[in-house]
Amino acid sequence: MTTPTPDPLQVLREMRSRAVLGGGTQRIEQQHARGKLTARERLALLLDEGSFQEFGALATHQVSQFGLDKQRFPGDGIVTGFGKISGRRVAVFAQDFTVLGGSFSEVQAHKISRIQDLALDSGIPLIGLNDSGGARIQEGVRSLAAYGEVFVRNVMASGVIPQISLILGPCAGGAVYSPALTDFIIMAGDSCMFLTGPDVIQAVTGEQVSAQELGGPEVHTGRSGVAHLSAATEGAALTLAKQLLAYLPQNNNEDPPQVRPEDPATRMDEALNTLIPADESQPYDMRDAIDAIFDRDSFLELQPQFAPNALIGFARLDGHSVGIVANQPACMSGVLNIDASDKIARFIRICDAFNVPLLTFVDCPGFLPGTDQEYGGVIRHGAKIIYAYCEATVPKVSIVTRKAMGGAYVAMGSKQMRTDLAFAWPTAQIAVMGAAPAVRVLYRDQVRTAADPAQREAELVAEYREQFFNPYRAADVGQIDEVIEPCETRPRLVRALEILRTKVQQNPPKKHGLSPT
Amino acid sequence: MDNLGWGLQITALGMGLVFGLLALLWGLLTLVQRWDRPAVAASRVEAAPAAEEGMDPALVAAIVTAALAHRAHRRREAAPAMRSHWPGSQLYASRWVAAGRARQNQSWQRRGRG
Repeated sequence: MTTPTPDPLQVLREMRSRAVLGGGTQRIEQQHARGKLTARERLALLLDEGSFQEFGALATHQVSQFGLDKQRFPGDGIVTGFGKISGRRVAVFAQDFTVLGGSFSEVQAHKISRIQDLALDSGIPLIGLNDSGGARIQEGVRSLAAYGEVFVRNVMASGVIPQISLILGPCAGGAVYSPALTDFIIMAGDSCMFLTGPDVIQAVTGEQVSAQELGGPEVHTGRSGVAHLSAATEGAALTLAKQLLAYLPQNNNEDPPQVRPEDPATRMDEALNTLIPADESQPYDMRDAIDAIFDRDSFLELQPQFAPNALIGFARLDGHSVGIVANQPACMSGVLNIDASDKIARFIRICDAFNVPLLTFVDCPGFLPGTDQEYGGVIRHGAKIIYAYCEATVPKVSIVTRKAMGGAYVAMGSKQMRTDLAFAWPTAQIAVMGAAPAVRVLYRDQVRTAADPAQREAELVAEYREQFFNPYRAADVGQIDEVIEPCETRPRLVRALEILRTKVQQNPPKKHGLSPT
Repeated sequence: MDNLGWGLQITALGMGLVFGLLALLWGLLTLVQRWDRPAVAASRVEAAPAAEEGMDPALVAAIVTAALAHRAHRRREAAPAMRSHWPGSQLYASRWVAAGRARQNQSWQRRGRG
């Protein structure tokens, strides 16, 4: 008597059902109890309905040591595949914490690498949802080598396809480098990222710190600058990822999506004419200028808490995606420092890689003086801005709103940085340095020998300001293309970018440049 | 003169026929228009009490707010309905840009290597 052959279709359906359950119903309930979604629930929120096509759902590991032979789950703790976001094709992977804590295995690496290769070949963005306790220790060096497989593909895809990482749980040890090699990191809820965890830190240095204090969203969006955005919930983080993708193209050959303009290109906001305070020491919020100039509600600020003296983000101008770099006079008078330089330089390179025109708003009194900054290498950090602007070939337009002093003027989008068009508001002050220090250098003897040195210095400062603290000397020598009324900025920028839309510029052939680090 | 009279008769008959048909068509269109009008008015009359009875102004305001918020959300995500062009489609409208991008992305190749 022969045993009946199982129905092949029934077998497949059972295996698929097991794969969908991940680590099982109990683990799913535990995940929900922590206030977290499962990998498949996250993908359902991220992708257009019914668009997800999974690959490798039945892959399992072949390790039998440490009892792993009894813990084989179809998919091996990761869901990979293709889907669509707002009708655009994307490649995705989502680590499943319900399977062995989402630990990173050789099979996971194979599955991620496969998706990375297909995404790069197809020229489509890659979105990774990270939620993993770290390397699968039972797999030993194979797990470590697996990281390397993913890293090398992150680097090969860098600047070719947009790569967005969402941190939706723990991300520790070597695992942090894959998100760090991608273009954007979004953290959600109680997620955390660190190289060495609180336990190791306590054992090595004796320092007591919680996981959140060490690498929570607040730390990485505010202090370290590792993450670009954070959200209170996973759903909000997934929405942010979708919004971010809306400003980016499919790959480095294409343009970002254009939205039908609803805000008139000729709109002029009179409030801009009174935005700059009469007293130059008074701050103002550059976000007010950005909100008034760009399409309504289109500004998506990145890294708002990190180096708040500089603003970066995407917006839309007449429906087209643009990158905005600006000094923020409302914070530290908009000076440039180490963190602001890193923040700006990185963003310029992202925009350049993905064909997003760059608009720079300048109100910067210079680089932050002090031993902290000099010892920290403000020279090499500041040089990154210059390098990034000079290297960028996308359309570049700068607008000097108020102060543009010394090296900061040169770095922040002067004509010599291959800026295509330079505008200035009548309130612009383009000079080598502030009036008082300039007078002290230029007229030291005259002030010292005067009958009333204070009176004479005040007169000379006023004279210097009269001569140099305006945009007209810069316009005389062609450093400024046009001095415009602030309210004209929107239509001017729309027209400028319309002209520059077909700009093509090629850098000298080279293996790669050597950007300051 | 006979020919002239015959000609005038034919002209009058032809023109009479054309104008007659035009008048008939005009009449027909007017009838169709009158026939259509009461139906439109009736639907309006029907819609009004429904709005008055079932829709609280606060609810209407909430729906409008939600619809506008949803529209703004779709704009931020560049949903297909909000897009003016399919991503990348404009690139190929300009051979200048398409060729230029291709050159830019090959800048790492050595000179003289095709």
